[in-house]
Amino acid sequence: MQCKKVSASRDRLLDPAASEWANIPGESLKMDATPLANQPSEYIKASRDEKQIGKVKTLLVQSAHNDSDIFFRLTWEDASKNVEVTDNNLFPDGCGILMPLNGGDPPIDEMGTNDAPVNAWFWRADFEDKARNTVARGLGTTQFSKQCPIQTKSLWGQGAWAIVFARALAVPDLKDETTQLVPGAAVKVGFAVWEGSNGERAGVKSFSKEWRELTLEA
Amino acid sequence: MADLSQRQQQLAVEAKSEKAKLRQSKRQLAMVFDLNKCLGCQTCVVACKTLWTRDEGMEYMWWATVNTQPGKGTPKDWEQMGGGFHEEEPNAGKLPTRRDFGEAWDFNYDEVFFGGKGNSVHLQPSGDPDWGPNWDEDQGGGQYPNSFYFYLPRICNHCTHPACLEACPRNAIYKREEDGIVLISEERCKGYRFCMEACPYKKIYFNHTRMLSQKCIFCYPRIEKGVAPACARQCPGRLRFVGFLDDEQGPIYKLVKEWKVALPLHSEYGTQPNVYYVPPISPPRFDADGNIDESKPRIPTEYLKFLFGPDVEQALATLKAEMAKTKAGGKSEILDTLIVYEWKNLFGPFTQDPAALEPRKV
Repeated sequence: MQCKKVSASRDRLLDPAASEWANIPGESLKMDATPLANQPSEYIKASRDEKQIGKVKTLLVQSAHNDSDIFFRLTWEDASKNVEVTDNNLFPDGCGILMPLNGGDPPIDEMGTNDAPVNAWFWRADFEDKARNTVARGLGTTQFSKQCPIQTKSLWGQGAWAIVFARALAVPDLKDETTQLVPGAAVKVGFAVWEGSNGERAGVKSFSKEWRELTLEA
Repeated sequence: MADLSQRQQQLAVEAKSEKAKLRQSKRQLAMVFDLNKCLGCQTCVVACKTLWTRDEGMEYMWWATVNTQPGKGTPKDWEQMGGGFHEEEPNAGKLPTRRDFGEAWDFNYDEVFFGGKGNSVHLQPSGDPDWGPNWDEDQGGGQYPNSFYFYLPRICNHCTHPACLEACPRNAIYKREEDGIVLISEERCKGYRFCMEACPYKKIYFNHTRMLSQKCIFCYPRIEKGVAPACARQCPGRLRFVGFLDDEQGPIYKLVKEWKVALPLHSEYGTQPNVYYVPPISPPRFDADGNIDESKPRIPTEYLKFLFGPDVEQALATLKAEMAKTKAGGKSEILDTLIVYEWKNLFGPFTQDPAALEPRKV
């Protein structure tokens, strides 16, 4: 997977509808249900059917950087736009990007481990484009960072979501909380999508079940 | 794949051992509610509301409720929503909606009290509500002249095997080691609501402002100061006993363990609830000719068995025998305990006057 180097501005690339995205290559990823056996709750295991988990089966991922910021554009088909949580039984759509926090090869289907944490960039439809930066050290352990270096912009139209994530390549102040990125180097990435209308939240989601190597063009 | 499955087994073992730690407690606080004394005044409900659920996002929450039985309950038809355990395996449950609980109604206070229309406009909720907590208050069951009803106060049961604790994928729910009170950590909760699904008593609410789950906390800040929970302390009927289940000298131990006249609600849900109920005794039925039929109680025993299990028959028999004993001039320790001549006898070590404490600095 390539993260293309471009000269466009942060403002332009943060816009999911910007024309620049038409020239940035994308990769279509097959998404799978998270394994029920890994759920850290006997209730979830007993009350769900793995075949019903992970309603979103395909995710298109594009990535670019302009030497100061990195951008991901995630698009997927979704006929139901689930934004507001107006009732107890309603859940919002969401998506996330996962990377090892300190390199290495943390288990992607366990959200890292205590020794090998992962960094997740998280967008949820009800956050009103206020993204979250989280660190996880195993299943069910994600914690939002107090400071969030990530920005998102979202767009829903014609039965599809398009979400752009933007972050400075280097965030020296938050080294323990967010993965540092360098042009010319590669980083492992994974992705997840939550389909609100299917009651997906927490570990109940679709995900790219193996790490992809993302190379940032030098 | 063999490795993976081994790893998954290991993860399951680790998760189970973590859950076992979270539900460990050295002692267990409990309550006993004597349903023969509950007059449905809702003072407990308002005491709780006033103290704990007045903030934004909590408008529709009633951690303590009192419902007329038979009835649909709060939330509506909660007994048909699943959850709990079936043969020790977690049982799928439904998420109660805000409508099932009953939305908080907006009243025209300004218009009536301050708008100069006190003599012309009724105080009324806006819109046209068709459900609310204890909406079916005046229905009850049976047909005249054998109609019947009683009140059922409910709070979180602070279960020994809480389905909510088991369900949370973030280990945000735990029992306090010192007293078994079940709490939701607001630091850890992310509002996923598996607990709401899993709780068979449907006593967990979702706060739509703070996006997290909340419920009865057994007034633990009061407990820590020796003060009984607000619902119990303010109950004018003296029907809510508070204490440690293992205190053999206390009324709860005697009522539950020794005399067996207080029983858990829907123990078949498998969570081992720690609120116990003294079942309601009822007058006899009238037969078709209008004569009193002493053999049949007005409240059908089958209905009480549905709520409190088969042991309710023995509990009722014990209570009736004790009543007969006192009627014949004898003494009954059980009835004396239930009468509660001194209010302090309700609360074990929790008789401290809340008004005598320093207010908490906010």
